[in-house]
Amino acid sequence: MLRSVASRLGSAVCSAARTNVQRTCAVTQVRYRHDVEESAEEFDNRYEAFFNRQDVDGWDIRKAMNDLQGLDLVPEPRIIVAALKACRRVNDYALAVRYMEAVQNKCGDKVGEIWPYLRQEIKPTLDELGILTPEEMGYDKPELAVEDVMDM
Amino acid sequence: MLRSLTRTALRQGARISHRAIATTAVRPADASDLTIQEREQIYPKLGNRDIVGYGFNGNPVYIDREEWPAPAVRFRENTAEVQALRAKEQGDWKALTLEEKKGLYRASFRQTYAEMTAPTGEWKTVIAGLLLGLSFTGWVLIWMKTCVYPPMPRTITKEWQVAQAERMVKQRQGAVLGISSQWDYEKNEWK
Repeated sequence: MLRSVASRLGSAVCSAARTNVQRTCAVTQVRYRHDVEESAEEFDNRYEAFFNRQDVDGWDIRKAMNDLQGLDLVPEPRIIVAALKACRRVNDYALAVRYMEAVQNKCGDKVGEIWPYLRQEIKPTLDELGILTPEEMGYDKPELAVEDVMDM
Repeated sequence: MLRSLTRTALRQGARISHRAIATTAVRPADASDLTIQEREQIYPKLGNRDIVGYGFNGNPVYIDREEWPAPAVRFRENTAEVQALRAKEQGDWKALTLEEKKGLYRASFRQTYAEMTAPTGEWKTVIAGLLLGLSFTGWVLIWMKTCVYPPMPRTITKEWQVAQAERMVKQRQGAVLGISSQWDYEKNEWK
């Protein structure tokens, strides 16, 4: 009896382990390599393609915007254009304006040099989609004096 | 009997290990999929707002931060007027007036970047508090000097110290390396 239980136990454990191993292997089909550095060009292409995906939704756009905001760079105009078009596809006007503000913020103290260039590059898209720049919205200066959440 | 029990136990065990290993990145269900009770329980403060993103560590909270342009929740609830604006937003954005665009923005976000980064003037309070603190310690010092400490010793004066040095020179203290070695006894002055 014990022997039969033990042999069944053994075979069952083996088969379970085998299926587990197969499953774990199947999960990681993409092998991430750490010895290849992504060039700036590839980076821009990656984000542009991400925003240009036809099935992109608000979650993805927000995720990519938040990620881009955390990086030490100002996004290329073509990434911004793709992001604005993605906002148009998911019908989120506010997000488009918000992203331009975020990019302006990302320019730091060079905003006087970088933002005019970016605006000139994305101007055709803005006109095409009917998006106003933050300046045109009146958001380059504080509009409301809302209370700071830390003071509530 | 025992055999069937063992088999069942093993099957369950195997299933648990499968579950433990199969981790898929599942997007949390949209809050609109939940029933009202579930919604109230899971997101008690959400109200009638849309969850539109992942948020900090999966917490759908609203926060205005410069490095986090798109929070996970819209700021305003879906009131009738906001819904009407959203319906209009589906169409051509050139048809929206500036007021409507601002309404859409404020429905999603509380503060603009300019408002987030606007100077608060708080530094004035900080400086004022700092100076108040410094002046208070100054008054404490004055009080200590007048009311607490005994008077300074008589040796603290300049005259006393000069007289003491003279006396040491006259007594030829430290004639080799000390103070008297610095004194020229023929010319009666410091070397």
